[in-house]
Amino acid sequence: MSSPATPAPQSPSIGQQLREAAIDWGQNEFPNWIYVFKMVLAGLLALGIGYALDLDSPRSALITVFIVMQPQSGMILSKSFYRVVGTLVGSVAIVVLVGLFAQTPELFLLASAAWIGLCTYGSAHNRNFRSYGFVLSGYTVALIGLPAALHPDVTFNAIMNRGTAITLGILCAGVVSALVLPQASAPGLVRSVRGRFTSFVDLISGTLGGSSDREQLEAANARFVGEIIGLEALRSTAIFEDPEIRLRSGRLTRMNSEFMALSTRMHALHQLMNRLHAANTPATQLAIDTISPYFREVQPLLTRDSGEPVMTAADAADAALKLDRYKRDLPRRVRATRSAQAAALSDEALLDFDTAAELLYRVIDELHAYTLTYASLVQRHHEREQWDHRYAPKTSRVIAAVAGARAAITLIALSTFWILSGWPSGDVATLNAAAFCAITSASPDPARATRAVTIGVAGAAVLGYLYTFHILPHLDGFWMLAAALAPVLMLAVLMTTKPKLAGYGLGICIFFPFLAVPDNLITLNAAGYLNEVVALMVSLIVTTIAFMLLLPPTTNWTVRHLEKRLRKQVVEACYGKLAHLALQFESGTRDLMHQITMVTSSRPALRKSALGWMFATLEIGHAIIELRTELDGIRNDNPGLLPAAAYQALNRLRQTVPALFEQPRPDTLADALQANDVAIAAVQQAIGPHYRERSERHRLQRSLSYLHFIRTALLDTRSPLHPLRTAANVNPAPRAHGATDAA
Amino acid sequence: MPREISFFDAYVPTLLLAILVAGAIALLADRLLVRLGWYALVWHPALFRISLFACIAAWLGLAIYA
Repeated sequence: MSSPATPAPQSPSIGQQLREAAIDWGQNEFPNWIYVFKMVLAGLLALGIGYALDLDSPRSALITVFIVMQPQSGMILSKSFYRVVGTLVGSVAIVVLVGLFAQTPELFLLASAAWIGLCTYGSAHNRNFRSYGFVLSGYTVALIGLPAALHPDVTFNAIMNRGTAITLGILCAGVVSALVLPQASAPGLVRSVRGRFTSFVDLISGTLGGSSDREQLEAANARFVGEIIGLEALRSTAIFEDPEIRLRSGRLTRMNSEFMALSTRMHALHQLMNRLHAANTPATQLAIDTISPYFREVQPLLTRDSGEPVMTAADAADAALKLDRYKRDLPRRVRATRSAQAAALSDEALLDFDTAAELLYRVIDELHAYTLTYASLVQRHHEREQWDHRYAPKTSRVIAAVAGARAAITLIALSTFWILSGWPSGDVATLNAAAFCAITSASPDPARATRAVTIGVAGAAVLGYLYTFHILPHLDGFWMLAAALAPVLMLAVLMTTKPKLAGYGLGICIFFPFLAVPDNLITLNAAGYLNEVVALMVSLIVTTIAFMLLLPPTTNWTVRHLEKRLRKQVVEACYGKLAHLALQFESGTRDLMHQITMVTSSRPALRKSALGWMFATLEIGHAIIELRTELDGIRNDNPGLLPAAAYQALNRLRQTVPALFEQPRPDTLADALQANDVAIAAVQQAIGPHYRERSERHRLQRSLSYLHFIRTALLDTRSPLHPLRTAANVNPAPRAHGATDAA
Repeated sequence: MPREISFFDAYVPTLLLAILVAGAIALLADRLLVRLGWYALVWHPALFRISLFACIAAWLGLAIYA
């Protein structure tokens, strides 16, 4: 990424084709090779220091380098910090466990299984830096705990020694990746922020100009979900390595939340217009015709005077000014249009018009905020930096608990077998299974990862045999050893950069050093080697089977569970504390959708249904939050604005909508629809035909348009609620015609 | 300065503690330099940070062993 050094073709006579190939290689392959070079350098550095320090097992340092390596982002010192802390916590845990249970191996194994299960749970539940800490803490217990417990007399020294090796590996990996040709994540962040702004501006222009259809919008929204999560992950990495990004961290988070709010609103507006188009009656057509001219005015606001779309943050400042002016004029102009057309529009169409106008105003308002924040990124310090909403991605507790339980059960099964059979290499098998559970805990599809790794290990075993018994005896000194190891390690690391081969590569990276790299005291023992290989293969096969059998994350059950959690978000929207609720709701819903996307990569049908629920949840939940905020304001300032009957109707709505999302059934849907209709009628009654002060009328009108929006969302023919309605043949009751409003 | 410190009856080299202290100092210095905009003038920020840490750690180490 950050290494544009493209090797130029040597002779110009070879021509364009070769040059293009070289440029292509330089862009796609060259960064991978840098990464391979760095990782192998870090690994051999750790190994060399380990030998120089006379550690028991320098290969642990080498293996640790490969466990902590990550190709996607620049690896940085602060990640290393969390990992070192994890290692320390793990070491303390071993001292405690050995102290308590050294005499009874059964209890010791049970306790280690529980600890590793806990760490797996922790690393699956957290998805940021904390996750690395948990992985390393579980891994440390697995790697050091068993050997330490077998020789309790030297436990403390063994822990210090192995702990040093692991820490050494972590530090070498961190230092080398930070110092040698660093691959910064900051340019990627800037690129993704800019790319998203541009693509979103395109989307807005397309949608409001009426040129994009639902499929396109859904695809774009699904992509945005991934981008929102990705940007947050990138930001949390980049703040540690780039001080310029750290100064802007608050604004980047803010942009992300504003973006979420804006895309939900945008989607809502688009859905509303789609429904109006679909209804296809003269009244709705009139409403569409009345509001559409406003939509067409938005695009010019987002283009520069020269006609190109807004790209850089500097352009955005200009666009923000235009948006601000437009936003201030909009309510007055809409009121003028409304009073001019009020006579022609029916009651229903007027409501549609009001809802659309309200949504448009909110879109402009949020777009203005988003553009302002984007524009503020140019400056180092800015008042928009004050933003305290932290968005911490968390995986569902239930699913993380399943992962933890799975790891613990695997370990208990293996160690039971070890104790009952008296298998001499049982410790190797148990140790590796434990380490492996800890390493794969954060992977979205651990069963597949483990399968690939198992095959990789088979290759590593053959290679390791050749190395240990045919090459190693001829080597003299560390430099010869390093030279002999480098090709295999480079090949293995290169494999991990290719998605298809990543698992095999990881297997070789981790287990080839385990089998072939000598400790300080070299022992050559072919029978012992074969025993270790058998133990390794058995432990990996058992782990794979456990991952496949014990509720793997890719089953339908998981997806159903996540989908249920997604719908539960609406309950949260109805009953949660109002402060920060909108943001929590937005990010929580998208995070759940992201988790669903991760586990349904091979099943588009499931993903599509989940996406449908996400949109239904977002639309209705968001409208409910706005409605609650509005009602809260009315209650505090002027409770007499709404009659008691209206409050009652709204409360009933607040009960029926969560019931519908908790149990989507035809009868709950009918209940929710009916409650919504009653509430609309009540609010219409409250507005009344008589004169009201403008701000009061506006408030009630806004509430009414949220209610109307919920109604259209419930009746949407494309939402997952629609099949329920057709199944029970629930038709929207003809709405009680309340008072007509004359503006 | 004693070269080893008894920590819960385990002898810990003072140098290890010195390195931890150096890490804390370097972290604070880093925050300060970011605020001052110093890193705009630095070619390789990561190298600068690690060198800064190494300097502070070496300085503390010399204070112990001198």
